[in-house]
Amino acid sequence: MITVSLLRKKLDQKEFSSVELTKEYLKKIHENEHLGAFNTICEEEALISASKADERIASGDALPLTGIPMAIKDNICTKGIKTTCSSKMLESYAPPYDATVMEKLNSQNIVFLGKTSMDEFAMGGSSQTSALSKPKNPFNTECVPGGSSGGSATAVSAGLCSAALGSDTGGSIRQPAAFCGITGIKPTYGTVSRFGLVAFGSSLDQIGPMANSAEDCGIILNAIAGQDKHDRTTRKHDIDFLSSIGNSIKGMKIGLPKEFFGDGIDEEVKAAVLNVAKFYENMGAELVEVSMPTLKYAVSAYYLLACAEASSNLSRYDGVKYGYRTQNPESYDELIKKTRSEGFGTEVKRRILLGTYALSSGYYDAYYKKALAVRQQCKAEHDEIFSKCDLMLTPTAPTVAYKAGANINDPVKMYLADICTVTANIAGIPAISVPCGCDKSGMPIGFSLSAKRFDDAKLIGAADIFEKENPHPTANI
Amino acid sequence: MCKKYDTVIGLEIHAELSTKTKAFCTCDASFGGDPNTHICPVCTGQPGALPIINHAAVSYAMRAGLALNCDINRYTRFDRKNYFYPDLPKAYQISQLDLPLCVNGSLELSTGTVVRIHQIHLEEDAGKMVHDDYHGESWADYNRCSVPLIEIVTEPDIKSSEEAAEFVSKIALYLKYLNVCDAKMQEGSIRADVNVSLKPAGSSVLGDRAEIKNLNSIRSIQRAIESEIARQTEILEGGGKVVQETRRFDDATGTTSSLRSKENANDYRYFPEPDILAITFTDEDIEKAKSEIPLLPHQRVERYTKEYGLTDEDARVITLEKYLSDFYDQTVRIYPQYKNVANLFLTEIMRRVKDTDSEDIPISPKDFAKVVEMADKNTVNRNDAKSIIRIMFEEGGDPEEIAKKNGFIVVEDTAAIAEVIDKLFADRPDLIEDYKNGKTNVFGFFMGQANRALTGKATPMSIKAYLEKKFSEI
Repeated sequence: MITVSLLRKKLDQKEFSSVELTKEYLKKIHENEHLGAFNTICEEEALISASKADERIASGDALPLTGIPMAIKDNICTKGIKTTCSSKMLESYAPPYDATVMEKLNSQNIVFLGKTSMDEFAMGGSSQTSALSKPKNPFNTECVPGGSSGGSATAVSAGLCSAALGSDTGGSIRQPAAFCGITGIKPTYGTVSRFGLVAFGSSLDQIGPMANSAEDCGIILNAIAGQDKHDRTTRKHDIDFLSSIGNSIKGMKIGLPKEFFGDGIDEEVKAAVLNVAKFYENMGAELVEVSMPTLKYAVSAYYLLACAEASSNLSRYDGVKYGYRTQNPESYDELIKKTRSEGFGTEVKRRILLGTYALSSGYYDAYYKKALAVRQQCKAEHDEIFSKCDLMLTPTAPTVAYKAGANINDPVKMYLADICTVTANIAGIPAISVPCGCDKSGMPIGFSLSAKRFDDAKLIGAADIFEKENPHPTANI
Repeated sequence: MCKKYDTVIGLEIHAELSTKTKAFCTCDASFGGDPNTHICPVCTGQPGALPIINHAAVSYAMRAGLALNCDINRYTRFDRKNYFYPDLPKAYQISQLDLPLCVNGSLELSTGTVVRIHQIHLEEDAGKMVHDDYHGESWADYNRCSVPLIEIVTEPDIKSSEEAAEFVSKIALYLKYLNVCDAKMQEGSIRADVNVSLKPAGSSVLGDRAEIKNLNSIRSIQRAIESEIARQTEILEGGGKVVQETRRFDDATGTTSSLRSKENANDYRYFPEPDILAITFTDEDIEKAKSEIPLLPHQRVERYTKEYGLTDEDARVITLEKYLSDFYDQTVRIYPQYKNVANLFLTEIMRRVKDTDSEDIPISPKDFAKVVEMADKNTVNRNDAKSIIRIMFEEGGDPEEIAKKNGFIVVEDTAAIAEVIDKLFADRPDLIEDYKNGKTNVFGFFMGQANRALTGKATPMSIKAYLEKKFSEI
C-alpha cells in the first residue's frame, strides 16, 4: 500500500523525486483510462508543480503534502481548470477562483493530477449519473465504484493517485470508499471550508479526504481544515487530526445502534462489521447496544432537506452567466427552460423537482418543516448516544458494490441505500469508513465509525488501530 | 359632500444602504462604474461561492430601525427568496422573512397620523438589465447586485397620497440624517411599492388592494396613488369589485395597469439561508447602536431654537436638507455666533444652493465662518461680506484675500475721517447754519456723504462718532 506518509519519507530521503513520482502516476492514469476515474487530467500543471515541489523539498522546507500527487473531485473549484460537476451544464466551466481547500493544498505544493468524475452535481450513489466520464470499480469493472465521489474512490483504489478529495452530503465519501476498499472521512460540519465546493445541500455538504489509510486522511485534514473567512459556517477549532494515533482504545465505549443491523443489511456485510466490533472488544473496548429510533425517518428527511437546498442552489444554472446555454431561445423564459431541460440529467431534475415541491407554499409545513423536526430529533438522539459512548460502529452501506445499471431505474431503492450514512450529515457529526475485508465475490466491505462533533481525531485514531492489524484489500489492476 | 370611501395605504420602501462594500462580499458598493466592474465570484453567483455578511450593513439597518422606534429582534435570521430573473445571478435573493432585524416601529406625520412600521429587514439588491432593442440584445450589469437594502414595511395606516408622500420624504430625510442611505431617488437608492385599497367611509373592514410596484420618485408615488384611488372608486361606484393584483405605474400616462394577478403571483419558496448563521444581539450591541444614532431633523430644530436662539421657522428651513444643516453645524462649531451665522447662511448660502441638484457647497464652513466673523467685527461691511461669499461661490478663493484684493477691508483711517468731514463742513456752511437753527436732519446728509467718501477706509460707526463730536462742538 502506497500511503502519503510513506511517500513523504521517500521524497524526503530523495529515493525518488516528485517529478519521477508524478510521471509514474500519470503513466498509470493513462494506462487505466478505461476506469473512467478522471474528467480532466492536468498533466502539464502536475509536472510543473512537481518540479516546484522538488525545489521546496531540496531547500528543506517541505510540508507534509509537498510533492504528493493528489486528485480532486470535480465539484471543487480550481482556478482556470474545468470544474464540471460531471454535468453537461458545466462541461466547459472554468472557475475564476480556487476553492479554499485548493488554496491550502497549493500552499503546501501538492501535485494536482486532475479532476475526478462523480455523480452529476454529487447526486447519486453510483457515479452513474455522471454526464461525462463514468468511473468503474477497480475490484470489478462491471461494478460501480459508489458515489457520488466515485472517481476519487476509483483513482485512490487503483493507485492512480496517492490520495484524493471528495465531498459528502449524505455518504458520498464514505460509501464509495467502502465500495472501493479505501478509507474516507466526512469531517464534522464546519471543520473544512465549503468555499469553492459547488453546493448541493449546503447545510450537509463537507469536503473530506479519501486515502489508503486513516493516518493519510488525518494528514490531509490537517492541511485543509480550519476556520475560513470565506465560509461563515466554519468553526474555530485547533484539532490535530493525528493526535489520537497511537492511543489505546482500552476502556473506550463503542455503541452499536441496533437499527443499523436489521433488515435490509446484507448478511455478509453485517458479519464483517460485527467482526470489527469483536476486534475492538479484543483490543479492550467495551461494546454497548444503543438505539436510534429516528433512523426510519432519516432517509426521507435527508432527501427533503438536501433536495430543498439543492433546488435553490442549482437555480443559478440558467444559461445567462456561464455554463451551458440552449441555442436561439425566443425569450428569457425559453432560455432558462430549455437550458435547464437540456443541461441537467434525469436524477438532477428529479431532485430539483422534489425540492421545489417540498418548499412550495402549502407544502412547506408538511415536508420541509417536518424534515427539520426529524433533524432536531436525530441530533438529540446522537447527543444521547454520545453521552454514553465514545464511538458508534455501523456498516457504511447495506451492500457491497453492485453492477452498473442496477438500481438506476429505481430511485427509491437507490435512496434507501443511503440509510447507513445520512444521519452523520443530518447531525453534522464526523464519520469515517474503513475497509474490513471482502465478500465472497471479492468486493470490499466497509465499516463506519462516528463520534460527537469535533471528535474527528478520535475516529482516525480508532480506524488506525484497525488498519494496523487489517490491511486494506487491493484490487488487481 | 360627504366622503364615500376611506383610502387605505401601506408602503414598502426599499432603501439602498450607503455602506462601502456590498452586503455579502467585499466588492465596492458605490454607485456607477463601468458595467460589471464591481463584481466578484460571490455577487455573480459563481458555483461554490458563499456569502459573508457585511456587519456594517447590519448596524446601519439596526440604526434605522432604532431611529424609527423599532424593537430589535435579539435573534435574527436570513432566508432565501427564490425566483428566476437574469439580473439575479444566484436565482435567489438573500432576504429576511420570519425573523427580520427590526419590528414594531412608528413614525408620526404632520397630520397627526401615526404610521406603524411592521418591520424593517435587510436584503440584497439585484443587478440591472440593459436592453438594446435595435440589436435585439439584453445585457446584465451586476454592479448593483448584492448592494445592501433595507425594506421598510408599514401597516396600512396612511390615509392619502399626500400622507404617503410625506412619509416617504420623511423616511428619506431620516435615513440621510442617520448616515445610512444617500436617499438619491434619481439613482434608485430609494424605491417604493404602494398598496392601495378603498373601504366604505368609517368601515373597519379593509377592501381588496392593488399593489403598485417600483415607484422611484415622490411625485410618481403621489400620482400613482391618486390614479389608483380614481380607478378603484370608479369600479366600486359601478358596482364592481377591485381585483387583488400587482400593477405598474406609467409615468407618461399617469395611470396604472395590471402586471399580474394574485393567482399568477410568484411562489418564492422561502427557506432559511443555510450559508449565513443567525445573528444573536446582546443588550450591549443594541445600546451601542443606540449611542451611534446622530441627531435627527426634529432634534436639531430643538437644539437650534432652544440652545442657539434661532426662530422656529429658521431652524426648520436649515434642517430641511441634511447637508445644509451639517454645514451650519460645522460653521457654528468654528464660530459660535449662532444667529449671525444663521442670518448670512439663510440668505447667502441657501439661496445659492437651493436650486441645484448637487449637495456640494463650494465653500468650506471654515471660510464661511471667517466671512461672518469679518462682518461682525466690521472688518468688512455687511454688503461687502455678501460680495465675498458671491466671489467665493463663483471663483473660489480665501475670504481675506478676496476682501483685500477688492478693497473691502475697512481701515480706521482717523486722519482721513477728519479730513473728509472737516472738508464737508467747510464746503457747506449753509447746512451748518441750518443745524444751528434746529434742522438736525442735516446730520443724515453729512453721514451719507462721509460714508460714500470713506468706503473701505472707515466704518460707519467711527464716521458717526466723529460727526457727533463735530456737531456737539458747534
